[in-house]
Amino acid sequence: MQIREYIIRRVMILPLILVGTSLIVFTLGRVGGNPIAIYLEHEMTPDEVAQIEERYGLNDSLPEQYFAWAGGVLRGDLGYSGVLAAPVMDVLPKRLAATLELSVASAIVAVSLGIALGTFAGARRNRLPDHLTRVFAISGAATPIFWFAIVLLIIFWVNLGWFPVGRSEPEIFESISHPTGVYTLDALLAGSFTAFRDAIWHLILPAVTLGYGATAIITRMMRSSLAEELNEDYVDAARAKGLPERLVLRRHARRNALIPTVTVIGLGFGFLLQGSVVVEIIFIWPGMGRWMADAVLRGDQATIMAYVLFTSILFLVVNLVVDVVYAYLDRRVVLGS
Amino acid sequence: MTAPAAAPLSDKTASRVASVEELRIHFDTKAGRLHAVDGVSFDIFDGESLGLVGETGCGKSVTARSFLRLIPVPPGTYAGGRIHFWSKEARQTGGSPVDLLQVPASQMRDIRGNRIAMIFQDPGKALNPALSIREQVAEVFYQHRSEDLLDGWNGTPPRPIRRAAGQRSGKLEWLAFKVPPLRSPARRLRKRVDDLVGDALAETQIPNPRKIMTSYPHELSGGMKQRVMIAQALACNPDLLIADEPTTALDVTIQARIMELIRELQLRHQTSVLYISHDLSLVRRICDRIAVMYAGRIAEIGQTRHVFHDPLHPYTRGLLAAIPSLAHQRGELAVIDGTVPELIDPQPACRFHTRCSYATDLCGRLDPPLVARPGLRPVACHGYASPDELGVAADQLPRLDRDAP
Repeated sequence: MQIREYIIRRVMILPLILVGTSLIVFTLGRVGGNPIAIYLEHEMTPDEVAQIEERYGLNDSLPEQYFAWAGGVLRGDLGYSGVLAAPVMDVLPKRLAATLELSVASAIVAVSLGIALGTFAGARRNRLPDHLTRVFAISGAATPIFWFAIVLLIIFWVNLGWFPVGRSEPEIFESISHPTGVYTLDALLAGSFTAFRDAIWHLILPAVTLGYGATAIITRMMRSSLAEELNEDYVDAARAKGLPERLVLRRHARRNALIPTVTVIGLGFGFLLQGSVVVEIIFIWPGMGRWMADAVLRGDQATIMAYVLFTSILFLVVNLVVDVVYAYLDRRVVLGS
Repeated sequence: MTAPAAAPLSDKTASRVASVEELRIHFDTKAGRLHAVDGVSFDIFDGESLGLVGETGCGKSVTARSFLRLIPVPPGTYAGGRIHFWSKEARQTGGSPVDLLQVPASQMRDIRGNRIAMIFQDPGKALNPALSIREQVAEVFYQHRSEDLLDGWNGTPPRPIRRAAGQRSGKLEWLAFKVPPLRSPARRLRKRVDDLVGDALAETQIPNPRKIMTSYPHELSGGMKQRVMIAQALACNPDLLIADEPTTALDVTIQARIMELIRELQLRHQTSVLYISHDLSLVRRICDRIAVMYAGRIAEIGQTRHVFHDPLHPYTRGLLAAIPSLAHQRGELAVIDGTVPELIDPQPACRFHTRCSYATDLCGRLDPPLVARPGLRPVACHGYASPDELGVAADQLPRLDRDAP
């Protein structure tokens, strides 16, 4: 089957892209500052600085340095995080899991809500529901994420007290083990409904905040591409076959309208990762966000490199999934490559 | 070109499949009300092929689409008239027709694709690029022949299978079809659909229908795609097939073959066909009768031979003269001077009078009705009226010389 071959081909290219990514990450690290900046203090003598440089291999040639770093990454050694005073690898999995949980949750919010709203509006072009959706979408794209986060906090946490901040209630956190670091998944593995509800409850506000902007973009894209598809001849042809309007919309028009939307979804995931830094800081979410912000401000190279590498991998995987979905929706892609 | 010649139909003995009466379709535009179809009447008889010809924008496609109520409302409105339709049963039992403009939406869906089917101008656009040929043709069977799909089942098929045969399954049910115990009945239903789709495709002489079934529209040539459209349209053995310029988008070399195919299948299925076309030479070969349309009106209607040998309406004469033929020497091509009139809020006048070389003052202020006068077929031109009929002096009527088309 063609589509299976396409997936295999795409997965096989992945390692090559990763090597390229690691090269870029390494180069950026060298261009963007002194790799040992975080260890330097004003009182140090040139000798002491030279000693540190020697210890971190900065006197070797750049290719040697790259292979030393890349080799470390392959062995699971990402260096030492000066900000947290711990090896990156000790902290990263949990932090990454937290960020992943948040961004996937908001992606789910954004994709399902965006497609549903876009379909709703696109099928009712230039009528009241469409105008209302437009207001929602444009404000979503225009609202600064930090402001929206604070407004939600004031309303739902401070005033109404419906939702908590942070990631989990301490006693519930203690009650189950956390093998994956994704709390919803851990709760399901442990079979604890209380823990699962708690995890979801903590997830809702940050996920909605983070997902709002992406929802807006997906809604707009879905709406306009559906409205366009509905003018196509094949829609009339489907009606001429006697199909009910529900099937004309879902099976025929929406399927084609999803093609451009899916591309936007892939790009939107990068948008989510970017927004997660702000959202994590505001909602006290123990992900990569705050750690990263500190690392950037203080020049903690090992942490920055690990972050960029892992978010790149994440982005690559998401885009692989997007491409496969795209090929599934539009068979011409499979044929073309 | 050896399209089988159809026996000329006598208008009196044949029963009607559809009858359009005073159809009016308007579109609201920024400039005003566009009278796209303005009082069109014609009949389609059992088993005949009627050609509706005219230039772009004359309302022929709008007329055709209104049979299936495919005009978008708004901006369009069905401003008046009726389209009566007699299904096979109604014709056999002498039952009363339905008015296609009035039937409820659910009944309209039962007619679409089942009793009246349509072939579109550009098969590349009328097939969904995201669905396989199999899925697209199968839809017609699921929609209209779900009992057929469940034929030969011992006892009652399981409810999810019955729902699937009527394409009412939800996403969860589709998952259930992949696992036992629904897996084998679902496979059986699928096989039955495959057989029906394969047969429908084979009828249009598609080579290797089983292979074509699994392909997607972009993998097929234009002619193949149009064959798929034809297969899809004739799948349920409709009473009336509407072919909206079925060959315009195709290569010239394939056009003739597609037309022959439609003709052949029409005779085999005993289907009436309404051809929409601007190509007079094509229509001449294939149609029993021709209705010439101009600016939202029928100018003239009659047997193909008669219209071609003795065109009555000045517009028809101009149109026939404009057909380039091999007999013509190189040089100027014949044209009809002037342009099609604006159809926005039209005045009562003959629509053709601004371009007509015979026109008199009368033509500019009085609408000629489409009437059959003794010894003549229906034509909408004052030139055939008697002075008494209109209550005017004889010299006010346009004088048409009958012998110079």
